[in-house]
Amino acid sequence: MRNKRTNKAVVTAPSRGRYVNSGNGPSLLPIDIGHEHYLGLVDPDTAFWSLVRKDSLAETLTDTRFLAAYQRKADSFAEEMSMLRFHLKPSAVYFNATERCNLDCTYCYIPSTMRRSGVHMQKAEVFSALRKLRTYFRKVVPPGVMPQIIFHGAEPLLNRDAIFAAIEHFKNDFRFGIQTNATLLDTDAIAFLTSHGTGIGLSLDGHTASICDKTRATWDGKGVFEHVVTAMERLKGYAGYNVICTVTDQNMRHLSKIVEFFHAHEVPACLLNIVRCTLKPARDVKPTDHTAAKHFIAALEKADELYRQTGRKLVVGNFANILVSILAPTARRLMCDISPCGGGRCFFALAPNGDLFPCSEFIGLPRFKGGNLFTDKIADVLESEPFRMVTGRKVEDITPCNRCAIRHFCGSPCPAEAHEVNGAMDKVGSFCEFYEEQARYALRLIADNRQDAFLWDHWDTDTDQTFKFSG
Amino acid sequence: MKKQKPEQKQKVIAERKSCRAEGTGLSHYILMDQKSKK
Repeated sequence: MRNKRTNKAVVTAPSRGRYVNSGNGPSLLPIDIGHEHYLGLVDPDTAFWSLVRKDSLAETLTDTRFLAAYQRKADSFAEEMSMLRFHLKPSAVYFNATERCNLDCTYCYIPSTMRRSGVHMQKAEVFSALRKLRTYFRKVVPPGVMPQIIFHGAEPLLNRDAIFAAIEHFKNDFRFGIQTNATLLDTDAIAFLTSHGTGIGLSLDGHTASICDKTRATWDGKGVFEHVVTAMERLKGYAGYNVICTVTDQNMRHLSKIVEFFHAHEVPACLLNIVRCTLKPARDVKPTDHTAAKHFIAALEKADELYRQTGRKLVVGNFANILVSILAPTARRLMCDISPCGGGRCFFALAPNGDLFPCSEFIGLPRFKGGNLFTDKIADVLESEPFRMVTGRKVEDITPCNRCAIRHFCGSPCPAEAHEVNGAMDKVGSFCEFYEEQARYALRLIADNRQDAFLWDHWDTDTDQTFKFSG
Repeated sequence: MKKQKPEQKQKVIAERKSCRAEGTGLSHYILMDQKSKK
């Protein structure tokens, strides 16, 4: 039954599918979302969800009008998920123009030897790489869609001249972004980047220097809090910037204060990313799943409280993405929380020597090199064994995801963690309850019709309503 | 800001929206804003 949409022999079995959870009827699993009045009812395969009053569950499960309404849509929802999961083409590259960094953050996924004494790309190499990428994207990206280049790190501004020249030269070919620790983001750099419409991501892990410095500091242990706050002041009013806070056991208790701090500085959007434990040093600051979830949700409530008080939103992007993945699966923007993840299929990462990896998270893991931009065809690299290990990682093959109702709202991130921490691609990553609690919280918000306060404005402008049932 | 009312009386709430999929980002960087010129 669970595989009826991928197994034609079962699809053609002699059942009219009139009853829930038997024959060809819909598979709807009830889940406890922690709401006073509502339960969730989810088809795990299609990511179809409904919220049912607890005192109406039996009535709903035998409501032929409800079941028939879903049955009419089930195949198209399954096709939608299949397209989203298996048939997208890359349209973004995480472009590492240098291996070096002037910081030594605890949880960085790039090995310290590379960050301390690695190589820069020369300007000619940056240009050559972008020309190759432009040629590739012209073949695979639909007309009207501009591929995206994110200068990523290590610290990209250590190679500022090459990067800025590239942004100027290729401004009609790509949308550009840069993720920076802000230490080198002076007024000239901000003027250049904002005038070119470049997306700017800053990194800050606390609302005070003492918290921030625990995980983000220079090689000789000096904090960079003031640098980032100065950059935030300079960027005030620029819609294309955001701040990433990596959630660790060092700052999780302060997440609500951090949200308050971001909001006070008029940060338009932030990410509260749970630390990725791919490399060993990051595991030393790994928070406990459920404790991190508690503080994370408290921070979301704080963001909502501030919105109600001031009318100004601070969107927590990673949570907004999970909420969107429930409301409109194809409208999601971030592709970590989907299975297979976006690594190697929606985006890939370029190292300074031209080596290609499914995602930046793999750059410190030579085994995941799929080829080289300067010597191999991108199409061949995407089909390489290291890339296929990542693009082939599916929740259906992972326990407990294969019996989890919310597997398509979470996606079981992250393959790099699964492989490095738990030893195989068919293992979970470092967190499970953290995502479970987010999905439950998202469904509670929907039950209370509070979801819009947590989403970016006009998120659904280009969407169509494909299902609506209320009884 | 629009105040939203809870709809506790409904027995069933179920919705879905759809669009052309453009998900491109990983969680190190937000790719939400498409028009970021100051």
